[in-house]
Amino acid sequence: MRLKLRKLMDHALTAGGYLAIGGMALFLLWVLVPVFTKGFGAYVFRGTVEHRRMMLGEFNRGDLARLRAELAEVWRAREPVYRAVAAFERELDAMPAARRKALRSAFREVREGVAVLLGPEPGVPLPALTRRLYGQTRWEQAREKAADILFEETWEYSDAGSRRVLVPRAEQFEGTALAPVFDSVERDLAAMMRPRLTVYPRFLTDRSIDAHFFGGIGPEVLGTLYLSLGAMLVAVPLGIVAAVYFQEYAKEGPSVAFLRSCVNTLAGVPSVVFGLFGLAFFINTLRVSPGKSVLAGALTLALLVLPTVIRASEEAIAAVPRAFKEGAMALGAGRFRTVATVILPAALPGILTGIVISMGRAAGETAPIIFTAAVSVGQMVKPSEVLSQPTPALSWNLYNLCTEHEAVEELRHVQFGMAATLVLIVLALNLAAILLRARVARRLKG
Amino acid sequence: MKQSVLMSVVLGLSVMAAHAQDKLVMDGSTTVGPIAKAFAETYMRQNPGVNITVSESGSGNGAKALLNGTCDIANLSRHLKESEKKAMSEKGVKPVAHVVAFDALPVIVHPSNRVKGLTIDQIRDIYTGKITNWKEVGGGDQRIVVISRDTNSGTFETFKELVLGNDSKIVASAEYTGSNGGVRQRVQMTKGSIGYAGLGFVDRSVKALDVNGVAPSAESVVAKQYPISRELFMFTNGEPVSDSLAAKLLSMSRTEKGREIIEEIGYVPVPEK
Repeated sequence: MRLKLRKLMDHALTAGGYLAIGGMALFLLWVLVPVFTKGFGAYVFRGTVEHRRMMLGEFNRGDLARLRAELAEVWRAREPVYRAVAAFERELDAMPAARRKALRSAFREVREGVAVLLGPEPGVPLPALTRRLYGQTRWEQAREKAADILFEETWEYSDAGSRRVLVPRAEQFEGTALAPVFDSVERDLAAMMRPRLTVYPRFLTDRSIDAHFFGGIGPEVLGTLYLSLGAMLVAVPLGIVAAVYFQEYAKEGPSVAFLRSCVNTLAGVPSVVFGLFGLAFFINTLRVSPGKSVLAGALTLALLVLPTVIRASEEAIAAVPRAFKEGAMALGAGRFRTVATVILPAALPGILTGIVISMGRAAGETAPIIFTAAVSVGQMVKPSEVLSQPTPALSWNLYNLCTEHEAVEELRHVQFGMAATLVLIVLALNLAAILLRARVARRLKG
Repeated sequence: MKQSVLMSVVLGLSVMAAHAQDKLVMDGSTTVGPIAKAFAETYMRQNPGVNITVSESGSGNGAKALLNGTCDIANLSRHLKESEKKAMSEKGVKPVAHVVAFDALPVIVHPSNRVKGLTIDQIRDIYTGKITNWKEVGGGDQRIVVISRDTNSGTFETFKELVLGNDSKIVASAEYTGSNGGVRQRVQMTKGSIGYAGLGFVDRSVKALDVNGVAPSAESVVAKQYPISRELFMFTNGEPVSDSLAAKLLSMSRTEKGREIIEEIGYVPVPEK
């Protein structure tokens, strides 16, 4: 009977374990699959002729002769639209006042919609903002904008609740000179935009253009790398020295116990507190830089990951067999020599794992860099400028684009692209940790 | 050999010194943010090698950054408070205000809301919790979800001054959101909600109400008819040296191109005299 119960409990535990792992895997899939599939869309998408025009205009990439030929093709599809708009403008002026008033604002919306879809109207002065110099660069967005031209969104109000109604604008303009616009947009959209499968790997390294409307996320990627590498540069030596002290030098006693609990407490401090501390201490008190900078951000991140590095290094050092140490001592090595030539090399795999995992954490943190390093717009930071220059960074700019930006909906592909890239960077770091650990461990054995 | 090393060091130093003039740090309001970002991007597009950084951390943090000397230009969607002016004069910071644009605070609701307009008094009553259901102001039977900007923002200060009056308290159930874009998103997703944000953030995904019978628009702001209007500022510490990067950027708001940018983003350029 007892045996049966024990077996049952055993099975229950196994089942519970599988359930937990399965649940975790499902959750990961649920989070990561959309991030990766949609984020992939920033790199590979159906780009329109406007994308190619933008690439040539802003990055000087592409074939001018081919683009010219393509634009001539596109013009044939677009011309009827512009002709109808011009004709209707004349017609509008000749209309009776009441009808003119009724149609004018709707006409303005259609005209604006055409400019948003196709880019600035030929013959009118160019707009000042780069984002308005080109039409829709992505096919799926072009189709959305075309729908904005074709339909007017209105709401029907009733007591039961309101209902969204899409009214075709063609009805409103029936019989006018503007009517052909709607036919053309509906029928010839593909000919106007010429969507083509576009691979844009340089999204990863290109600068952003006009607050991320075009271009890539290069400054953010670079900023994230600077910040996480910089944090490690500070945290690793400090962390290892502290760990060696705790494990090899310190005599167990109340003061060491107190120090240990300090480190543990540090690990539990919310990251935004580190951010505020970084602002108050590194920038406003120590003035390590004139304002926000990569340096200040890296120092703050270093404080944040320091406890992790210390703990991982301590564990690794503690796991080194006592015999190693005793052997070294017996051969006459001093304490420093023992640590430097025997203990640390043996503990290296564990220490490295801790380091790379902390680096992933530093790359993903947002709160510590808001006040100390991150900006929403800025150029790529040169290595010579890290001491004084603030930088965009993936984690912060992702948040900024999702909440604060003036055109959140139109930049979904950039947001997902940033998210996927950030996740990939962290995954790559973790993978590197595993490989590195295996390699170092193998070398130490051999 | 030695000489060439010396030369390159000197050259390097002079390059670094020249660099210092190619940098500008802007911090502050999320309302002024789009203007600052567009100015910065436009300027950097015409002058490669210049690096202008823009952070959007709120008007209050912009003022603090100017006070602590951690930014060159502080973007504020309100004027400085007395307490801030005092702290600055104690630290020897001399704030100079530059009006870059006019703005209105459209009061926005979910597009499914049938209410077309409200009076200032009704808006105040909604935000102070005296009116809690849309049917009290001519809408459907739906609870009002009050959304406000955080108290660090200039947008909040303006709203408080022009709508609530300084001694009214916002209803405890109100949601506070850290940016203009955030308010718009909350309103766009929440039926029955009401919020407010800068002109540049209001698009067709939300419905802007008439206030006291006036619709928020460039015309009604210039004509001073829309009741919740304000100026948008950029502050510098002292008058910027002429020909400096800060001076050039600030003067953009008066150039034709700058005015066009402001208009295209959705704000109102300062009328020409």
